[in-house]
Parts: sequence; C-alpha cells; structure tokens
Amino acid sequence: MNKRKFFTAKKIGYIILTISALIMVMPFVTALFNSLKTYAEFTAVPPKWIPEVFQWSNYPEVFKLGNFLDYTFNSFIVTGLSVLGAVISCSMVGYAFARLTFPFKNALFVMVLGTMMIPPIVVIIPHFMIFQQMNLLDTLVPLWLLECLAQPFGIFLMRQTFLSIPKDYEESSKLDGCNPFQTYWRIYLPMVKPSLATVAIFTFMTKWNEILAPSIYLTSNEKFTLPIGILSLGGQWFGNEQYMVAAALMSLVPILIVFLFAERYFVQNFSSSGIK
Amino acid sequence: MQTNRGNSAATTLPRKKRKFISYEGKWGLLLVSPYLIQFIVFVIAPLIASLYFSFSQYDMLNAPQWIGLENYEKLFNEPLFYKSLWNTLYFAVLFVPAQAFLALLLAIALNQKIKALKLYRMAHFIPVISSWTVVMYVVDAIFNPRFGLANSFLIQLGLEPQKWLNDEQQVIPLLVLVAVWKGIGYIMIIYLSGLQNVPNELYEAAEMDGASSIRKFKSITLPLISPTTFLVIVLSTITTFQAFEQIYVMTGGAADISAAGGPNNASLVLMLYLYREGFSFLHMGYASAIAWILFIILFILTLLQLWGQKRWVHYH
Repeated sequence: MNKRKFFTAKKIGYIILTISALIMVMPFVTALFNSLKTYAEFTAVPPKWIPEVFQWSNYPEVFKLGNFLDYTFNSFIVTGLSVLGAVISCSMVGYAFARLTFPFKNALFVMVLGTMMIPPIVVIIPHFMIFQQMNLLDTLVPLWLLECLAQPFGIFLMRQTFLSIPKDYEESSKLDGCNPFQTYWRIYLPMVKPSLATVAIFTFMTKWNEILAPSIYLTSNEKFTLPIGILSLGGQWFGNEQYMVAAALMSLVPILIVFLFAERYFVQNFSSSGIK
Repeated sequence: MQTNRGNSAATTLPRKKRKFISYEGKWGLLLVSPYLIQFIVFVIAPLIASLYFSFSQYDMLNAPQWIGLENYEKLFNEPLFYKSLWNTLYFAVLFVPAQAFLALLLAIALNQKIKALKLYRMAHFIPVISSWTVVMYVVDAIFNPRFGLANSFLIQLGLEPQKWLNDEQQVIPLLVLVAVWKGIGYIMIIYLSGLQNVPNELYEAAEMDGASSIRKFKSITLPLISPTTFLVIVLSTITTFQAFEQIYVMTGGAADISAAGGPNNASLVLMLYLYREGFSFLHMGYASAIAWILFIILFILTLLQLWGQKRWVHYH
C-alpha cells in the first residue's frame, strides 16, 4: 500500500468498520435504554434517548406477567432436544456416508444434496397434516422431531469431516473387534468435536429463533416458544411496551452467551457454507 | 452383538468378500436410517401430497377433491397474487445486490491485519444471531412513527416525520434496509473466507507492475472472488423468495394474520400470501398451488443464474 498518503487503505478500513459496527450496535443500545424507561418516558415525544432513572425493575416484572416463564421453558426444551438430536443423527448419517459401503449409497447422497434445494414451503402443508394425523398439533414435538432425523446441511458437514480422517483408525478398531457403530461412537466421534459443535450451534441458533414452525403448529399461549410468545404479549401488555422490549432483549441473552463462548464455531459454520 | 453372521462367514471359505460387505451394508443402512425415514416420510411423500393438493380443493375438514387446474387458473387471475409476486421481486432486486455489495466492502476492510478483529466481527454478528422478534423491537426503537429516534431526528432537522413501515411506499425499502442490516455479518464472513483464498503472490506481482489499488481490485480481487459472489447471490435470492418471518413479524402479522402484509398489502410477499391462504383461510389446495408456483419461479431463477454465471464467474 502507498505509505505516503494520509488515508491508507488500512485507515479507511478502520473507518468503514467502525461506522458499520456502530450502525449494527446502536439500535440495540437504544432498545436497551427503552427497556429501562417508565411508560411515560417510553412514549414521550420528542423521545429522550437515555432514561432519567434506569428502571431495572422492568426486567423482573416481565416474569410476573403473561407466560414468559413457559415460553422460556418451551424454547429450552425445543432447542435442547433439537441440538441433541441433530448432533447424534447428523454425525451417524454423515459417518455412514463417509466411511461405510451400503446399497444405494451414492443415490441416497445425491438425494441429500437434492433435499437441500427443495424449498421448505412446498412441504409445509403436508407436514402440518402428518402432525395432525399423529395428534401432535399444539405440542412441541413437531418443532424438534425433524431435527432428530438428520437435516441435510449437518449430514453434509459431518460427512466432509469424517472423510478427512485417515482410514487407519477404522482398520485398527476393526481388528479390535468393534462393529461399525462402535467404531463410529468410540473412535471417530471424539475426533470430530469441532464439527459437532458447529452443527450444535447452527441448530441452536435456528431453533431458538424459529418463528414459522411454532406459528403453524402451536395454538395455546402457554405452549409458545419465546419468539412468538413475546409477539403475542403485544395484545396483553398494551400500555406496557417497555416490558416487551425487556422480554425481547432477555430472549437474546442465551444465544448471546453461546455465541460469546463459541464464536469460532459460528464463524467456521458460516465460512464453510461458502465453500464451493 | 450379532455373531451369527461372523460365525457363518468364518466357517465358509472366502472370509471377507461378499458376506462382509453385506454385514457392513446392514450397518450402513442402519446408521443412515434417520435420514431414510426423513426422506420417505418428510420429503418424498409430502412432495407428492403437495402436488396432489395443488390440483384439489381441500379445506382440511373434508377429503381433498380433484379439481384439475382450477387452483392455478384462479391464481393467475388473482390480482393479489401478482401484487405479492411483484412485492417479492421488488424486495429481491433491492436486497440481493445491496447486501452483496456492502458485505464485500466490509469483508475487504476486515481482510487486513487489523486490531480488534474479533470485536468488529462480533458487532456485525449480533443482528445475525437475533430472532426477528428481537429485531422488530430493536428496529422499533428507531423507526417507531411516534416515539422513534429517526422521526425525532428528522423533526430536529426541520423535516417532515415519516410513517415508515405504515407507509405504502416506504415499507419495502425499509424492510430491505433492516434485512441488509441483519444479514450482512453472515455474508461478510462468507466473503472473508473467499478473499482469504486469493493468493497473495498475485497482488505482489501486480504491485511490481505498479498497479493501483483500484486496478488490483478490478483485475484480481473481483474476478477471483466471483465464485463467492455467485454463491452469495444464489443463496440470498433463494432466501429472499422464501422470506416470511421478517415480514410476518415486522408488518403486524403476529397480532392478526389477516392484517399481515403492511398497509394495503404493500408488503404482502408470496410466502405470506401462501401462509394466509393456507393457515388462516384453510384453502390448502390453493396454498399448495402457490407453493409450487413459487418453487418453479425459484427453480427458473436459479437456472438463469447458473446459465448467466458463465459470463462473469471465473473458476481458478
């Protein structure tokens, strides 16, 4: 780069990134301030950015009203079971595709790739009917069951990872008398923890934030998950909008914590989706 | 464990030929069985059912009745269908290039040896990891027509306050702005990994030849990351055409689904139209027809993009 100029590429880069980062974060800060206002301050015109006195009591207030605790509990159930199911099923299927020979293997793998291209909307209505037939409407089951049956992206990611591990391990465990499941479970699975984490985090994020499926399958308010539960508070809490902002920000906390601890897996997941 | 098979293989002569493969084959099929179930029950059967419903009248209470092409005929004579198709296209045309361009700009800025890289990356990821519900409340703090900061800012500048999402003209551009804001961190990371695959020697060689920064960008960076750009464009076109959550949440559908779609249906997109017809009005056959038309449009668009890529995508 040209060193004599005052505006080096690096400096311009810093300026662009700083402005952009502020644009990303400022609305969250504004919402945080809004969640700490009294209703009078919340609806004041012209608005005051920072509240006079921080109303920290708005946050415990959220738990007293509506079904916020139910929503949180439901969200944890759906997300937890989905993550567990996705990690086990995707690694199992991915292992079979990478390491085992079985009938129709290639045709099936082509179908995995093909499934990724089918827009979920085309099958939404039949899915709804299947769960209706199974008497599972208005339960949390439809929200996590599909994750336990290995979704294509996770299969693909796990297969690529298992392919990159040398075959030697397999042969030695075979000599030790392990069957393919034992080889997968005891030898290979512990070696692919980063990819498992990627699948887990990706599933966590999608399920924690999901809106379409819960809005289709759930009807009773106490069954709602956080994203649609907080939306439904709109009607009940008219005149208490500052609580709703507090509720929304609280629903962000678990995923923010996961993100802070596992940032590199997030990045890994997003960059791996960019591989041609 | 099952030992029958092992024993019989041990007693007969060719110890590890066909028998062993079939043993492994059984394990293989067992291990892929979650996907097999998913594929048969939740992919193939629903696809067939959905196609059948699209030729039927079906309200979920009575058995579907075959009515041939009637749903499709009705669809092609329905002004709301064209409006939602137009809104979807309008959204995509604004969103896809804006997001790709801005994300590339940020990725280039990030692709230098800068300090606090993690902090910058994190700031751009907070919207990515937020649900649309969170985003709605956060955006409302800025664009609420009465109490939002944006209007108070406009008033201070002596300008007219705006209705933002309640304005027929502004709703889609504003939704696009929010969508770019939410998604840009994701695309930025995809671009960053694309940029890191560009070999440094090329830049060094160009510098020896005295090429300017702009020249290097045009002749090296852009062509070499064109596969990433292609991927970003295809991915975001697909997600845009299937966009539901943002519009459902941000334009009032959550409280009352028949109200979803903004003022005078100005933000009614295809997915929302489908959802409304299917799950509010129980026109499941008609909704299935919308789903298939949407699928066909996406398929054609993807084919067009694949065909068009020969002109501008360079694979090294």
